[in-house]
Amino acid sequence: MSTQLLIQSAMNGFGLAVVYILVALGLTLIFSILGIINFAHGEFYMLGGFATYYAFGVFGLHYVLALLLAVLAVGGAGVLAERLVFRRLRGKTLNGFIVSLGLLWVLQASAQLGFGVLDKAVPSAVGGVLRVGSVVISSERLLVIVSGVVLIAALYVFLTFTRAGRAMRAVAQDADAAALQGVNIEAVSALGFGVGCGLAGAAGALLAPIFAVSPTMGALPVVKAFIIIIVGGMGSLPGAVIGGLLLGAVEGIGTLFMSSAAVSMLGFLVVIAVLLVRPRGLFGVA
Amino acid sequence: MTIRITAAAALALLMVVSGAAPAGAAEKTLTIGLLGPLSGAAASYGVELQRGAEMKTDEINKAGGLKIGGDVYKLKLVAYDQKAQAAEAATATNKLVFQDKTKYIIGNAVGATCNAAQTITEPNKVLFAFVCWGTSNLAPDKPYSFRSMLSQWELAEPFYRWVKETHPNIKRVAAISPNDTSGKDTNTAVVKALKSLGFEVAGDEYYERGTKDFYPILTKVLAQKPDMIDVAAAPAGEAGLILKQALELGFKGAKGWTAGTNPFTIISVAGREAAEGVWSPANINVKSEHVNSAVRKFGEAYEKRYGEVPGVIAVANYAAFDVFAQAMQRAGSVDTERVLDVLTKERFETVWGPLVIGGKETYGIDRQFLYPLVISEVRGGQVVDLAQVLPAALKKK
Repeated sequence: MSTQLLIQSAMNGFGLAVVYILVALGLTLIFSILGIINFAHGEFYMLGGFATYYAFGVFGLHYVLALLLAVLAVGGAGVLAERLVFRRLRGKTLNGFIVSLGLLWVLQASAQLGFGVLDKAVPSAVGGVLRVGSVVISSERLLVIVSGVVLIAALYVFLTFTRAGRAMRAVAQDADAAALQGVNIEAVSALGFGVGCGLAGAAGALLAPIFAVSPTMGALPVVKAFIIIIVGGMGSLPGAVIGGLLLGAVEGIGTLFMSSAAVSMLGFLVVIAVLLVRPRGLFGVA
Repeated sequence: MTIRITAAAALALLMVVSGAAPAGAAEKTLTIGLLGPLSGAAASYGVELQRGAEMKTDEINKAGGLKIGGDVYKLKLVAYDQKAQAAEAATATNKLVFQDKTKYIIGNAVGATCNAAQTITEPNKVLFAFVCWGTSNLAPDKPYSFRSMLSQWELAEPFYRWVKETHPNIKRVAAISPNDTSGKDTNTAVVKALKSLGFEVAGDEYYERGTKDFYPILTKVLAQKPDMIDVAAAPAGEAGLILKQALELGFKGAKGWTAGTNPFTIISVAGREAAEGVWSPANINVKSEHVNSAVRKFGEAYEKRYGEVPGVIAVANYAAFDVFAQAMQRAGSVDTERVLDVLTKERFETVWGPLVIGGKETYGIDRQFLYPLVISEVRGGQVVDLAQVLPAALKKK
């Protein structure tokens, strides 16, 4: 096996990882603040894809503007979902889980009715490929990786250095104690849900020109995101990043040595192994 | 008295408004079931199945219904989405057979879903026509099942024989398919054809349905330096992504799509550059001057109604509906045993021209619709016919 083939595979894996991480970060953020496992998270990813399809592909807005619009629209949809549905279920994990399953089907069926069932291609935002030796990456994918890394860094800065971000972390650690300190739990919940969904929307929007969009496009990324947050630890943001990198590496490099079915299975084997050895995940707290 | 007259007048008015037929031939409703992946990555198959069926159903109903024996039947089409999953297909078939009481299911795609549906259709003597590509979908112990479209076993050998004759520089071919019955069977047929014709197999790869990122699998395939990649049984959306990403990774070789049922659909996903030069033996180009006028007319009506060019699946299911309707009329009954008897003994005129049902040498039973295949190429965003070839089974007939 040549070194360049390994580097290419590692690069493929890293590209996958960045997208998985964006989806997983939103999922774990929502869980840490509201205690809700949002099975409909993939549908917000799908909405981000369709927002880009219409803004960029159909109405011809500038790609960057279309991306921003997609993130804002999906973030807004997240806030709406929190206000209308999930607010009353905060901390009720099982109820939230069932309601989110219902929301998944409602959003997916609505998308099928509204957008049609066939894949819709989104024009390329940037063309060309970058070559280093025989290692190749398309400019589109490079844009996704760079944008993804910037978004992850921005989330870190937001959560660490801003008042709203610190309030979110406080609520995630202990909602009652945060409330006693004057934190508006309801506002933080809505913001957390919005930011989480906005991240999924960003992932969908970034990938729309590469993968095309369809109403069921959210199914696979959300499964990967669940693998990541279980491995990384439910509610742990660093865990989501490490889990995403781990899964990306397994899928990117694993495909060289085994079939894609075996690689998919490997992800779940990693979950089983982590749950057996460290039930709270790599970075989760007991 | 006044009340009676008023009631009679109201009834007469109701009959006029509802278009009820006068006494004579009793009008009945015949429910025809349809299964298909109507959502998800393989939805392009299901949508074409449904549209082909809708075209024939509406055609029959607008002409006053289907006259069978002394009765006139209006057709009612009931379609369920099986999402390309076997378990969903079994559930949907149960609904069609036991809830909707249909004895005819005309339309289904994706091999594993046909196997699941057949566990219900066969014991209940439900006549079942499909475009599934599983090898085991046609067998002597499945007498009520028909394939209405050429499958990989009719297509792969003549296609690669044509490749060998017209492009002798192509030596190494890699096949990529979904990891399920359709995909496995298609790659098996492609690999068998490649080996028998002296090609080298540069890859026999599978991916999970729903995959969007093909870089990992393509990195592995391209390391084997294939002269040609065949996106064998991949549906349009996934086939388009594979070709687009192969181009990004620097692949400049030949491209085939053995199950390429509608090359127009791949252009929109892959883009013109990546789709350029894709050969497909499974398609029918309804705009070609080489096809008969019935297919061209169907294509025009379809495009007018749905705004898209129909692929071979739409034509195949339209033809299957037609054949079954003709068989019912000739049998003078909707009893599936009597209709089956006609189907297996008589010949039918369809949009394909005179239809031959064969396949015994491959499947052990004559249940495969046979017609000439056309090898086409995507050229400049259009689909161009290159050659017409007869499947081996049709040559023997």
